[in-house]
Amino acid sequence: MISNTGPAYSPRQRSAFDRYNPLRWIGELSETRYWMYLLLLPSALLICAVVIYPTLYGMQMSFHEMRLNRPGLGNGWVGLKHYQRMVSDPIFWVSLRNTAVWVTSAIALEFLVGLIAALALNRNLPGSKVLAVLILLPYFLPNVVAGHMWALMLDPRLGVINDLLVKIGLLQGYKAWFADPTTAMAAAIVVEAWHSFPFFTLLLLAGLKGIPTDVYKAADIDGAGAFAQLRLITLPMLKTIIAAAVILRVIGLVNSPDLLLILTSGGPGRSTQVLSLYAFQTAYKDFNFGYAGALSVVMFVLLMVFAWAYVRLSKVNED
Amino acid sequence: MTGFDRRSVLKMGGGALAASALLPAYAFGQSTAINYWHTFTSQSEFAGLDEVMKLFAAAHPDITVTQENIPNPEFMAKVTAAVVSGSRPDTTMVASERVADLVAMNGLTDLTDRIASWDRRSDFDDARFKSITVDGKVYGVPAFTFVDWMYYRKDWFDEAGLAPPTTFAEFRDAAIKLTDPAKGRFGFGMRAGAGGQAYVINVMEGFGAKLVQDDGTIGLDRDKAIEAVDWWAGLLTRDGAVPPSAPNDGFRQIMEAFQTGQTAMVWHHTGSFQDNAKLLKPGVEFATAVIPAGPVNKISRLGYAYNTVTNPDTIDAGWEWLKFWGEPDAAIAFLEKTGYFPASTAAAKDERISGNPLYKPAADTLGFGIPAPSFPGSAGWAEGVVLPAFQRVLIKEATPEQAVDEMIDGLAQAIG
Repeated sequence: MISNTGPAYSPRQRSAFDRYNPLRWIGELSETRYWMYLLLLPSALLICAVVIYPTLYGMQMSFHEMRLNRPGLGNGWVGLKHYQRMVSDPIFWVSLRNTAVWVTSAIALEFLVGLIAALALNRNLPGSKVLAVLILLPYFLPNVVAGHMWALMLDPRLGVINDLLVKIGLLQGYKAWFADPTTAMAAAIVVEAWHSFPFFTLLLLAGLKGIPTDVYKAADIDGAGAFAQLRLITLPMLKTIIAAAVILRVIGLVNSPDLLLILTSGGPGRSTQVLSLYAFQTAYKDFNFGYAGALSVVMFVLLMVFAWAYVRLSKVNED
Repeated sequence: MTGFDRRSVLKMGGGALAASALLPAYAFGQSTAINYWHTFTSQSEFAGLDEVMKLFAAAHPDITVTQENIPNPEFMAKVTAAVVSGSRPDTTMVASERVADLVAMNGLTDLTDRIASWDRRSDFDDARFKSITVDGKVYGVPAFTFVDWMYYRKDWFDEAGLAPPTTFAEFRDAAIKLTDPAKGRFGFGMRAGAGGQAYVINVMEGFGAKLVQDDGTIGLDRDKAIEAVDWWAGLLTRDGAVPPSAPNDGFRQIMEAFQTGQTAMVWHHTGSFQDNAKLLKPGVEFATAVIPAGPVNKISRLGYAYNTVTNPDTIDAGWEWLKFWGEPDAAIAFLEKTGYFPASTAAAKDERISGNPLYKPAADTLGFGIPAPSFPGSAGWAEGVVLPAFQRVLIKEATPEQAVDEMIDGLAQAIG
């Protein structure tokens, strides 16, 4: 027997309750095309708060006077003043050139070493699994640790690398790698490549695992050698992964001054000064956040242009 | 058997919740926790800080101090971010050359009245407060003094029959004579990497190119500055009396070179004394001397590390911690662990200091030494313009004239 022990509602009361029942309102809304926007709203608000607002704030800073140690100057609108200064600022141009050298050389080296390592690991030789873990170790190290470690290893007095190179006869005497403008950038690039090549190894290895072995067998039958297989099968089939990896590394390298900060602080002179380091120093040594903001906006635009051009030129979208 | 029904469990839970809310207030009602940002890095510095914290904990059981190390190169970036974001530390150690920038960005709390009524105020010379006073307001208490002096290899000087140099000319002469590339020895460990800007400015002032004039105006005498830069860089480029790594040598490199017998002289402050003494025998293998005098001025720096209140919300506890560093027992405990000189005149007169002949050059320097020039923008100009410009001379990418012109242009931009 079913007994109703709850309060009895009249039809009139039920209607008034239903009219203001939020569950009913949500239920009706879920049947409309606005429902998906409602579901997206929390994420959109979050993105606005943590991505869009800081980016726009950084951009508007570049059009204002903002020198924390000169409050008397105020923080008024200065239009394109910082951008005009940039055009005639020799340090900006040196930094831009160094950034191009730093990013291009480091990524080329990282890609090359990463590809060799990935190809070797993909052969599934004995010990490959252990090697695959060991090879990632440099990438696990924070930049600060890697920087200090290499600064010691390349030290002209106590460094093990100088010692080895002298002992095997490649160097006449100990070399101060970071004190010589002809070797400082190259030494820093080697350190960066050592630190980040596992990133390429990891991604390329994942891509290699996805290439069917039948393709290589067919190429073998057609008489393609190892280099031809690499050029005609492996690299084209890794194209999307290479494009993604290169873009991610370019963004990472252009934006991170920490390794160069530790190894050279941009010196000697300006020989290793890059844009991110210049922006950092302008903000936190000169406290000129307006000019630092303008430098950051230029980096942002350059990265956007690079990413767009690279995706178009590498034709990854055509696949 | 007694059981718990749902209602009694809820009652007990509610009671426990209320008690737990009251408990911390009761338990910690008498205690204040503050944090302290500092830039100490060496083991001896940490040992000194630990000693001061132990003494403070014994004297003030009601205040808990947590120390937080901020690496020196990142210090201004972290403090600036903390000030701008409103997440300030309670108390902070600030080097004198950073005071102007921090006050300008409203990062420090005015302590004028507290310091004026402090019973140990008379233990400190007025000069000690000069760098921490801006527009008549005093923002901190001097914790200890960085007295610049010279460490030299006494055994090498004795062997060569040389006396410690007292002028730049004698200094250069000694550096050249003690350089022997065959033995891997250089006369002087020049710091022209991170932190080297201070020495460039000191040498320029030694040659008469003062940065802040007596009337308060800021500027550089071009000719004297060129002469200074040429002489200082010449120790590497002409005389070969400093290691070729000089353009990248920071604190670690110059001290390692001295401690491992690769350089005969090094300029630094008293804070490296204990670390040198661990590796070289004081008074036998190494000794100390006053920084040689320049042709025009005798420049030796007295840098003060100030303790400041950065968070006004905990000012009472912060003030207790700050002023504790002025107690003679705390100052001498810190000196004995680190070699850093007390800022308090009363503590500096203690027999443990005045009776030690190796400390005499530091005591002498206290008589004539002056703080580094400081004005808003000075730290950024020194690090971002002076140092790279000087390095360009060392690597023969620029002439001293070009470097000084770069410094003058940069200075105009920094103060303009």
